[in-house]
Amino acid sequence: MKRKLAMAALALVSVLGAIPVMAAEDPLYISVISKGEQHAFWQAVRTGCEAAAEDYGVDMFYYGPPSESDIALQVEALNTEIQKAPDAIALAALSTESVMAQIQECLDGGIPIIGFDSGVPNAPEGAIYATASTDNQNAAALAAEKMMEEESFVELVKNAAADAPVVIGVLSQDATGESNVNRTTGFVNKMVELVSEYQEVSVTGHELWLAEKEGAPVVINVEIPATPEVTDITNAANALLNTKGISAIFCSNEGTVSGLLAATSSGADLEDGAAYGDLVVAGFDAGAPQKNAVRNGWFIGSVTQDPYRIGYLSIELAVKAANGEEVEDVDTGAQWYTAENIDDPDIAMLVYD
Amino acid sequence: MKTKKLNMQKILAPAALVILYVFFSITGRNFFGMDGLRQILQSCYYIGYMAFGVTFVIITGGIDLSLGSLMLCSALVGCCAYSAWGWPLWLALILILVIGGLFGLFNGFMVAKLKLPPFIATLGTQMITLGFGSIISKVRTMYFPSVGSVDEWFRSVFYIHGQFPTGVLWLLGAFAVGWFLLNKTRFGRYVFAIGSNEEAARLSGVKVDRYKIAVYVVCGLFVAMAGIFYGAAYTTVLPGKGNGEEVNGIAAVVIGGTSMAGGSGSIFGTLIGVLIMATLKKGLASVGLQAHWQTFFTGFVVIGAVLLDIVRNNAALKSAKKQVQ
Repeated sequence: MKRKLAMAALALVSVLGAIPVMAAEDPLYISVISKGEQHAFWQAVRTGCEAAAEDYGVDMFYYGPPSESDIALQVEALNTEIQKAPDAIALAALSTESVMAQIQECLDGGIPIIGFDSGVPNAPEGAIYATASTDNQNAAALAAEKMMEEESFVELVKNAAADAPVVIGVLSQDATGESNVNRTTGFVNKMVELVSEYQEVSVTGHELWLAEKEGAPVVINVEIPATPEVTDITNAANALLNTKGISAIFCSNEGTVSGLLAATSSGADLEDGAAYGDLVVAGFDAGAPQKNAVRNGWFIGSVTQDPYRIGYLSIELAVKAANGEEVEDVDTGAQWYTAENIDDPDIAMLVYD
Repeated sequence: MKTKKLNMQKILAPAALVILYVFFSITGRNFFGMDGLRQILQSCYYIGYMAFGVTFVIITGGIDLSLGSLMLCSALVGCCAYSAWGWPLWLALILILVIGGLFGLFNGFMVAKLKLPPFIATLGTQMITLGFGSIISKVRTMYFPSVGSVDEWFRSVFYIHGQFPTGVLWLLGAFAVGWFLLNKTRFGRYVFAIGSNEEAARLSGVKVDRYKIAVYVVCGLFVAMAGIFYGAAYTTVLPGKGNGEEVNGIAAVVIGGTSMAGGSGSIFGTLIGVLIMATLKKGLASVGLQAHWQTFFTGFVVIGAVLLDIVRNNAALKSAKKQVQ
């Protein structure tokens, strides 16, 4: 009996042992350590990663902690993955401080790390080979371009005069957060560039973007709320709406969109024929209220990051880095969604509720 | 015959550990080897300390649900003293132990003197510690010194020095201290006595209240140590976290064969329980399964261990009845 058992165990061991041997020609093994899996945003990142892994024929392991405060779990997952000696790691760190030792280990062991989304800020020099993330300036510039594709708005700009200036409002949640600052800068710069073809432009409001020109017929007014609380954002939105000559507003994130909607009877005042029916509004990011505003045509459209491409390109960079090719940071781009395309499968995947 | 049966049950958990280790060594990617072993050990430092501490409590027939939140509360406050108030690190570490001890005392007082059920008393402490940490730290995230910072020695002493996992020595040290306390001292004998029959212990002159309080203080100190190891391993401590970690500590104790009814259990069993959980965690990851699978499987292991406990108790009861007849 004992002998039989031993034989069976031996057989089992040999069968299991043979599995790795049979898988000839090991494909590249890439570990992806993300910030989560629960949000639609991260689901899209994962879909992108999986598509790239398929295209490049690599073995991929994707990890996302249950929530963005589960730092210990992310560190453990990273430890485990480093142990598996991957050919490259794609990492979006919850806390750079917590993974400093692991990053150093990868640096010493020659494992390339690719940052993605927010990446790994303040990492030691040379550890992060490249980062795949949204260039917020380019993304927000897209909103300015789309506004200037609205013929009625362009007419308004052309006919503006110094005594009755056209005002373009920018609502930014704060002037300190990197992504908000970049989005505002990107929008303002692009708008100045496009409007300058027809008219002189003055930029007023927050000092960070100040470029005032006396008597300019078009004014870009950057409004920053006192605090990022929705009540203060709503006050700032009201201030913009009450500005004489206000013709367009760009909201740089989900929070400012909420503030603007709160100031316009949940957006109903933006309906054609209502108090602000002629206002040209563009948003950024998604969320159910914003999607609703876009779908109803209250917004001409909104910009969204492209998490699918963030995922796809991070794997692409990881593969290149693993093969010893030179890699550099890439802009994963942005998408413009409107009432027409919001339900297209390609777009619907990117805009979360 | 009877002793043989008992031995069989004693080796069941270690045998399960060996089987798991062999299984993942064969199937896992880079699981087998010194590095893999080091990883298993490294992932169980803080859980080990929590589990050793609560083993004493469970043997007396009590429970401590404040393990996880107390661990992170003491770590958070200590780290706050270090990085926000400018205390030297060694003093901050002492503060961590003091906080653990004081909340242990609080738990013990409620259970022994106020006669609150341990489940409720420590549930209250769980919430109090969650809030307390946030209040003291002003809801700020705190960072223990990591590699390349001034107090780098912290990580070297409590986690890893070069390639040498210093935390293993601490874990073995905790095991030795726990084993000695439970098996070689009067305190340990009374812990078992209280757990088997509190009234009998009282009648035979044991100062039950005093020892019960001491048990919770010991648990609090072990948990505070767990907080230090958590800080060494993960650096970042968030306010308002830690509830949920207690299940890891309690599960390890149960897997190790300590009876939830009190009166029996061992530190060695708890060590095996901790290692089984860590092996499962690292092993499942090495075959490509994510962390939630580990939680999923650990749940079954816990239920299996408790079932075994019940079967064992029934068998013992039957044989005892037979003897009486």
